[in-house]
Amino acid sequence: MTLLRRYRFASFMLALVAMIAFAIAELDFQMLFISVVLATLSWYVTEGPRGRTLPDWMSNILVIAVLLWRGSSFLIDGDAVDAMGALGGILMWILLIKLYARRTSSEERQRFALSTMLVIAGCLESVEFAFGALVLVYGGVAIWAAMLWQLARSAETARASRQVIAGFAPPLEIAVGRRVVAQFRGIAIVSMVMVVALGTVVFVFFPRFAALGSMGGRGRTSVTGFSDEIRLRGGDRITESRRELFTVRWIDPDGTTRQLLRPLLLRGAVLTWYAANGERWVASRGEAGIRIFRTPAQNRFVALAAALKGDIGPMATAEIEMRSYASDVIFSTYAPVGVATSEPRSIALDPMTLILRDVSTDRVGRYWNYSLHVQSQPSAMVLDALAAGSSESDQYTLFPIPRMQAIALRILDEARVSETIPDTPALDADDAARFQYGREVARAIASWMRKQFTYTTDLSAFPRVVGEDPIVSFLERNRSGHCEYFASGLCAVLRSLKIESRIVTGFIAIEYDERAEHYIVRESNAHAWVEVRTGVNSWTAMDATPEESLLQIQERNRSFADGFRWMYSRLEFLWNSRVVSYDSAAQSTIADRVRSGWREAFGARLAQIGASMRNIASELSLGSAGGVWFATIAIGISTALLARLIVVNRTRRLRRLLHLEAVAPAEQRRLLRDAAFYVEALHVLERAGFSKPSHLTPRAFAESLRAHHAQTADAFAAIVEQFYRIRYGPTQNRSEEAVTHRSQILALRFALSQNSQRS
Amino acid sequence: MLALALGARTCHNERVKAVLSTPKRRTRIVAAGVIYTIVVLVIGLAAGSRPNNLLIWVFACLLAAMVASGFVSGFMLMRVRARRIEPRRGRVGEALLVRYEITNTSRFIPAYDLHVKEHVDGSLLETAGDAWVLHAGPRDQVHAEAVFRPRLRGPIRLNAFEVTSTFPFDLLRKVLIFSQRSEVLIHPEVRALRSNLLSQITSGGMGGNRLSSSAGGNDDFFGVREYRPGDSIRQIAWKRLAGTGKLATIERSRSVPPRVRILLDLRVATNALKVTEGESARTLEEEAIVLAASFLALADRLGYEYSLSIAGVATPPVALRRGHFHREKLMSVLAAIDLDAVRTSGNGLAASDERATVVVVHADRTDTSIAPNEAWHFTARQFPTLVVTS
Repeated sequence: MTLLRRYRFASFMLALVAMIAFAIAELDFQMLFISVVLATLSWYVTEGPRGRTLPDWMSNILVIAVLLWRGSSFLIDGDAVDAMGALGGILMWILLIKLYARRTSSEERQRFALSTMLVIAGCLESVEFAFGALVLVYGGVAIWAAMLWQLARSAETARASRQVIAGFAPPLEIAVGRRVVAQFRGIAIVSMVMVVALGTVVFVFFPRFAALGSMGGRGRTSVTGFSDEIRLRGGDRITESRRELFTVRWIDPDGTTRQLLRPLLLRGAVLTWYAANGERWVASRGEAGIRIFRTPAQNRFVALAAALKGDIGPMATAEIEMRSYASDVIFSTYAPVGVATSEPRSIALDPMTLILRDVSTDRVGRYWNYSLHVQSQPSAMVLDALAAGSSESDQYTLFPIPRMQAIALRILDEARVSETIPDTPALDADDAARFQYGREVARAIASWMRKQFTYTTDLSAFPRVVGEDPIVSFLERNRSGHCEYFASGLCAVLRSLKIESRIVTGFIAIEYDERAEHYIVRESNAHAWVEVRTGVNSWTAMDATPEESLLQIQERNRSFADGFRWMYSRLEFLWNSRVVSYDSAAQSTIADRVRSGWREAFGARLAQIGASMRNIASELSLGSAGGVWFATIAIGISTALLARLIVVNRTRRLRRLLHLEAVAPAEQRRLLRDAAFYVEALHVLERAGFSKPSHLTPRAFAESLRAHHAQTADAFAAIVEQFYRIRYGPTQNRSEEAVTHRSQILALRFALSQNSQRS
Repeated sequence: MLALALGARTCHNERVKAVLSTPKRRTRIVAAGVIYTIVVLVIGLAAGSRPNNLLIWVFACLLAAMVASGFVSGFMLMRVRARRIEPRRGRVGEALLVRYEITNTSRFIPAYDLHVKEHVDGSLLETAGDAWVLHAGPRDQVHAEAVFRPRLRGPIRLNAFEVTSTFPFDLLRKVLIFSQRSEVLIHPEVRALRSNLLSQITSGGMGGNRLSSSAGGNDDFFGVREYRPGDSIRQIAWKRLAGTGKLATIERSRSVPPRVRILLDLRVATNALKVTEGESARTLEEEAIVLAASFLALADRLGYEYSLSIAGVATPPVALRRGHFHREKLMSVLAAIDLDAVRTSGNGLAASDERATVVVVHADRTDTSIAPNEAWHFTARQFPTLVVTS
């Protein structure tokens, strides 16, 4: 395939990569399959042995049909949030049609633009590593294709211009050999490297005003993953993701590493408010009481319950090592009492929820490892110290749907059949009895829900009832859902029964690697559960989700590829840590590091030089004039260096001009000195507009001047003869000959001036 | 004038300067670049307002591509030098090929997609597209070829030309402007005249087949000369040998082709020509020149000996000859006619004893006083009746 023919393949590849990238961004594997098959087929149909293309009218009709079909579908039952997805879908179909259309220059331009728009639409839909990698591939292919297109288009234009005057000029024949292709490859690689390098610089310094948050919706499909809110209508179908996020090693107080009997619940966010209109649980964003701790370096622990002095009892250690996840959140079991990081970090502790968060501003990426000291059953004293007098709140019993109270009572009655539920405490009962009652009721209802409700990640089979809250539908109608529904249902029931509760989101660690002795936490292990208040500052986790279902899903999804996933996870962690989560804090950190590095590198050296100079000045008793002396010496050295540079450059130029490269150094020096008059003559001619071409010998140049002006040619010919004698003959340039040369140069100048006057 | 006509001379120093002089550099924005810039700005705004690092990355790469485009094409053209190879003579209505020698003196960087555009008046030369070369490798020398179609007869001055490239991304156009003055002489158009036209007017007349006044043929007796070794024994004059006792060789005359002299009558100044309404005097003169050129071309094609005289314009006499170079010389004379110059008197005909058919071409009307009585007279207005109709 010649260089110009390669463009067609590059154009096809560009469209193909764009379509794959968009399908990956949408996580729509049906779209991926259809687009890849149709695109591949288009290559065979249009470029095969009997290539056929769609006529223009048909491709135009198909494009209009796609616009009508996809546009009406979006208007009828589309979601405004998914507008970009719908637009991308339209672009993809049009691109597919264009792959079957005629390959005119205009069509090629449209194909290029459509591919780029498709990728940009994907950027607004996804920040996944797989998509990011495909964007990088697209960038490379786009550069390659753009360069090939440039050549192909120029060749086509040149050929067409020859056809216009057919019969008058021979047709254009373009020779494209191996050397051309190899050099093209080189220049394409250089361009790619340049684009990536410059792009990285722009990316690093691009001003970032907005905080990084949600990275765009994914329409009706979502993946499992940690979030600091729960949207109950976020997606009907949840795709299980096997991505390894991090690992957790549990070390008992006695130093033994082991797997716990119960799954490990790693808390990431506490959700306190249910917004019925938005059908979502959100966290309270209060900043009050937040305490910041600065961790020391080298994994030394900082105590979170700083008010406590002395021994606070046995503490287990959870060592968390990030694999591919980049987040500010520090996932911890209940209740963390100490935290250690490999490098100094600022850690914020919310005393109301005991949620930890990295608030460091001096960082580039979010990827780091940390260790936690935790107590599974902390004493009230420890919890009080962690809470540090944070105010009480009655928000944990609020639920905005009045109907829920009747539902809760009905569920309580149903649960009472199979579970032991204590009687309602008296109104004047103390807090301990109230907390005891809440714990027992929560445990009973959670147990009942685990038996009566079924776990599923596919909710598409359950029709949505207009006007009915999804939690009500879950409890009353469907009785089936995933962990968010279980947690929402349990919390709603408990709150309606005036039992203080809240939802916690995070991860459940259930996959234990016996060989590595740690839990592997995957994206699909994201979980939601309920915490019930069991003390003034004490909360107990209650999980209504059937644990067996989670284990079954875990087993079902385990595959051979899991063994190799760590390689991908490493790349993904780099992507998330360095690209996706790069923000203004990382930007300022880089700027600080560069500034301080600059200061360290040069500031110290300058100070050292200054001190040395002062020492010398004092030893030589130069006094205040020392500065002037040093400046004079510095200027002298600089001037000498500059002069040396000029002389070296001039010598090199003369050596090249006189072709003295192969001459011995001593002879070179002699000729440079003796043949100076010839060089001067060339300069005189050059200034007059007669530059000597390198392919002409001096004598031939003199002859060529004759065609222009005989007098000038004669004058220069005499100089050339003299130069030849010095260059090749035994003649030495004696001092009396220097006078001759001077007169010859003058004669040349005179001849040139005569010539200019005449013209 | 003949000196000008005999060759479109380019001063040597101009050529030399063009090879070694540093060209002027320019950077121009192309339409695609403007659109691209707008798109990049829109994406930049979106990236700035939306916390999406991937969008920022795309924006950064698009911006970088724009900068890289300028860098790559700039580096590519950094060491490119070009010169125009002196163009050959052109003819109105026919393709004029102008070649350019492009030298990439860089040691490492190849140059791709080089266009060469001539700075020329479009009313004189119609261009059919730029000269183009796909690739000029490091230390390569390549030739590009531009095709023009001359529109007017006469000398055309070519001043500067530019080597441009929008490679690699067609966003910026880098331009090298080379100044190299040269002239190309455009011959008048030649139209196909009826092939029997000349044979009709020359047969049997004074320009018809005849014997030349020089020896070399083998037909009729021409004379006797002294024998030279190598002469054929058949040509020995035996009777003379018998009479004088000396060897002599008989010379015979040779037949020569018909002869025609084209006399272009331009004695009357342009503004003194008699033209009808809607007719242009200058066009009539140009048509007369074209008719004369067509007669010359026809005579050349038919193997005649021919020559050209121009009445009203000072031209040296040219002998009757035939052949390619003779034809080109006469065409150059026609090409170099300056119709704005002051007209002279005299008919410009050669010696009166020349034996050739005289064809006089007039611009507006016939004037028989200019030539012998046997001469044939044509006017430019008759042109349509003389050409071959397809």
